[in-house]
Amino acid sequence: MSRLPGAHPNSFNIYLLPGLIGLLIIIIIPLLANVYISFTSWRGVGMPRWTGLTNWARILHDQDFWASFGHSLLMILAVTIIPTILGLLTSSLLSDVIQKKFSGRMASLFRGIFYIPQILPIAVATIIMGWIFRPEKGAVNEVLKAIGLGSMQRNWLGSSTWAMPVLMIILIWIQFGYPIVIFMSGLERVDPELYEAASLDGANWWRKFCTITLPEIIPELLVVLLTSTIGALKTFGPVYLLTKGGPGRQTIVPSYYSYTQFFQVQQVGYGATISTALTLVIVVFAIVFSFIQNHVEKNQD
Amino acid sequence: MATSLAMLAGVGACGSSNSSSQEDGNTLTVWWYADEGSAESKGWNQTIKVFEKKTGKKVKFERKSFEQIAKNGSQFLNSDKAPDVMESNRGNSSAGLLVTQNLLSDLGPYVKKYGWDKIVKGQNQILGKYTSKGVIGGNTWYGIPTYAEMQRVYYNDDLFAKYNIPIPNTFDEFVSALAKFKENGITPLSEAAMEYPLQQLWWQLVLSKADKKFVEDYQLYKGKVDWNSEPFTFATNTIEAWLKAGYISKDVSGLKSEDAFTGFTNGTHPIFVTGTWNHGRFMDEAKNFKWESKEWPGANVYEGGTGNILTIPRNAKHKDMAAQFINCALQPDIQNFIGNAGGIPLTYDPSAIKDPSLKVMIDDFKKVASKGVLGYYPDWAGANMYDSMSSSLQQFVNGEITGKQMLDAYKGYYDQGVKDLGILD
Repeated sequence: MSRLPGAHPNSFNIYLLPGLIGLLIIIIIPLLANVYISFTSWRGVGMPRWTGLTNWARILHDQDFWASFGHSLLMILAVTIIPTILGLLTSSLLSDVIQKKFSGRMASLFRGIFYIPQILPIAVATIIMGWIFRPEKGAVNEVLKAIGLGSMQRNWLGSSTWAMPVLMIILIWIQFGYPIVIFMSGLERVDPELYEAASLDGANWWRKFCTITLPEIIPELLVVLLTSTIGALKTFGPVYLLTKGGPGRQTIVPSYYSYTQFFQVQQVGYGATISTALTLVIVVFAIVFSFIQNHVEKNQD
Repeated sequence: MATSLAMLAGVGACGSSNSSSQEDGNTLTVWWYADEGSAESKGWNQTIKVFEKKTGKKVKFERKSFEQIAKNGSQFLNSDKAPDVMESNRGNSSAGLLVTQNLLSDLGPYVKKYGWDKIVKGQNQILGKYTSKGVIGGNTWYGIPTYAEMQRVYYNDDLFAKYNIPIPNTFDEFVSALAKFKENGITPLSEAAMEYPLQQLWWQLVLSKADKKFVEDYQLYKGKVDWNSEPFTFATNTIEAWLKAGYISKDVSGLKSEDAFTGFTNGTHPIFVTGTWNHGRFMDEAKNFKWESKEWPGANVYEGGTGNILTIPRNAKHKDMAAQFINCALQPDIQNFIGNAGGIPLTYDPSAIKDPSLKVMIDDFKKVASKGVLGYYPDWAGANMYDSMSSSLQQFVNGEITGKQMLDAYKGYYDQGVKDLGILD
């Protein structure tokens, strides 16, 4: 904390006020209202009717709700785990091999290409992928036919077996560039001499990756894991645009489920219950994760 | 065609402008979300022109999206920013919901003043009148329909001629036409199960075995719905049989309504069962072959109903002017205009309709409506039934669940959807 000489420490508090007011209006009050509404029955207009724990009792036995939460785990796999692992390997390859064997510009080019899906608006990226996976005249099925694998053609987004895996592939494709960009900026920090010393000792790429790269970018890794897991839990766009939760309930996720309750059924009370439950899960996850983060970083020092 | 009629329509009568109230302001705010290309949207645009000319007042029109009105309509209407005239989706879960939220004006006095019930007659009144619980077919006018729509079968005449297949007039002829196309290696029906087309075909099959009482039980909750009754099993078994026979593509669960539309207009599939709201688009886009449309071959009840209604929100500031506007839209000049634009007017002068195929379509609707055998749509009876039913139908056409399981799931959606509407105590 730096302080201007002679200034009273409390005199700065007033500068926090605009931010606090914003936080109050945009985050805190709606959050509290949401929690309150989850204890009521409300159609969105008029006065909410207090119903106590009714919504919360309903959520415990609501198969659709639990199915949607189960699917959140798959979303975490598709948005966090797989892109992070792939991103780690790719960024290490890019900065360790491509950058050295070819050029820095080549590595930047690859990084840019991988990042493109992140720049596209999610609706555009999703709809294009929806066209590619169309059963009739979709690019994937046409390519399979052209290379003689016609028997592998599938009704990708229309079948209960394939809708979720395809959705996950689309999410992986969208997400992939994000960890790469973060990790590569982290790797800039690493002293090249470390790698040189390790090479002189006869370490191969994998050995260097495990003993130098990975430990050095732990802070970046933790940030990526936290932000993308929260993103995964909030997945909405691709489900809304591609499958509407179907076929059956195969691709329903909590955000989409609360949306249907809010706006389609206009059971605002129950929609608020679902979104409050989702918020709780995210907050608990973020707190636990922060503890782990502190612990890991302390150990590193 | 539409533009030449615009000039003819200038002489319409909207009733005089002896507005009796103390309302101030000369600007009427009107909202609708109908597609720009649709007949009703063209008709209402024309209404604005005629209204402004007749009354000397101004209309401020704002196009909203369907989602805006369906999902946030109640919030707008509850504020002082409510429009004077608003298009609303008809039915229990849309306009009915607004009625229960006390957001719409009772139009009874205006109906009496202008005699609207002499233009909107018989079954055409059902979707404009609601009970205090927001159920269609009540006693209080909350919305006025100004056009109608129904499901029809669109045939590619060139393909029928090429394979020497007669255009069917009965259900048996329809099925044998499907079989003959299949023998020639053509999948006859253009369909999609991700969105409404296949759901609507299923409902038309249900209605073909249904009667008025069935519709009243299902849509107006006058009796219990028996999900094991013949209409449901017949429709479900027929869809299953047609899938097995290859009359419907096996990929149908991955296709959207636009896919089904282009599947017909690009000549891939010779038959498309769809609503008259697509008629205008066929006129514009199906230009490489001759086509015609006929009513569903052999049904007791037909899928369709009057179109979306015009309402006057409770918080509207210019209610008398709003009623004058609605009255304009019901006059013969606008009604004929809607008919020529490819829509179904509620009243019309046959000599004013230029295209004979449109005249057939309008007369078919008139016949059905006067018999009172319109069956509406399957998702109207409960909240959120459209998405739920689509997703189970997808599983059914994939063979992942049986017809019985699908009907059981539908029963669950129906019961929950009716409960969520909060109309039955």
